[in-house]
Amino acid sequence: MKLRRTRLYVPGNNPHLIENVGLYGADCVILDLEDSVPLDQKFDARILVKYALKNVDFGKSEKWVRINGIDTPFWKEDIEEVLPYVDVVNIPKVEDYGDIEAISSVMSEIEDRNGLDERKIVPIVETLRGLINAREIAKHPRVIAMAWGGEDLTAELGIPKKKALILDHVRAEIVISAKAHGKMALDTVYGNVRDEEGLFEYARRARYMGFDGIGVIHPNQIEIVHRAFRPDDREIEEAKRIVEAAEKAMEEGKGVISLDGRMIDKPVLERAKKILAYAEVD
Amino acid sequence: MVEAGTLEKGDVRVSIENAESREIIIKSKLERIYGNAIRKTVEEMTEGVKAKVLVEDMGALDWVLRARIESAIRKFRGEGE
Repeated sequence: MKLRRTRLYVPGNNPHLIENVGLYGADCVILDLEDSVPLDQKFDARILVKYALKNVDFGKSEKWVRINGIDTPFWKEDIEEVLPYVDVVNIPKVEDYGDIEAISSVMSEIEDRNGLDERKIVPIVETLRGLINAREIAKHPRVIAMAWGGEDLTAELGIPKKKALILDHVRAEIVISAKAHGKMALDTVYGNVRDEEGLFEYARRARYMGFDGIGVIHPNQIEIVHRAFRPDDREIEEAKRIVEAAEKAMEEGKGVISLDGRMIDKPVLERAKKILAYAEVD
Repeated sequence: MVEAGTLEKGDVRVSIENAESREIIIKSKLERIYGNAIRKTVEEMTEGVKAKVLVEDMGALDWVLRARIESAIRKFRGEGE
């Protein structure tokens, strides 16, 4: 099972920060062409990112690129330059299924031309319009996970982000949209890189909200988040017993899995497998 | 004249301007150690480019140098405007 507990954002215009990305152990690394790159460096950055994807050792980290949004003149050139070397295209400010479809058709054209496998998409929902369409967006076959960002959304509502109670609803909606279609749900970043305790609590809360991971902006945050996403011993023990019961039922040719006199449904078995996957790494 | 890259640590700035024939100038604090390798990469990537190429190295790795040269050449040819 591919884990995406941490996705480390790295500015796509800074070679010094990019060169060691594989050493930090993040599940995913996002080379960013959007917010961290000034307008006059967009051209240089996308070429730098292409060379980084081809030459830098990413270790076990999945290679992501956050392209510029579909409302900018840059996104097509971003995709054209980096697509052959990337695992996942991260798309900001996605507002509806049509946005994904437009980007997907450009990707298909490049993939066909270069004989590439289908690349995946993780959209970032950042507006109210995106939020009401999140359940549709998550349906797209290229979408493997749903992410979100609160800056634009709270600006639209005219409320300060740090005090925005509505963000718990937004989080829940992202999780529901993703999970209903069997996709991952990814929470946003915790901005205070010096507050380790706060980060741990934030990541723990994300996990119990139903998220599969959060964004990180500093390598020091990675280990803390992985620890927060690690199930506790009791959860692991219970999960092992469920999986063992399922294996036993299969060996005995039984259609029904039971443990301690109760029936184990498929979702419960899937959750147990997920817990073991999260427990067995690191 | 066009430029690509920066003078930040680990980066390199490549500037290209029109000239009668190719001229390569390399400025690097590590020129004694890496000067030949840098020149080789620059020569290979600017083959056929009639221009003055100035490379100001801040300790860039070879892939960074290649990226910045490609950017500069493509801008020199009119892309990225």
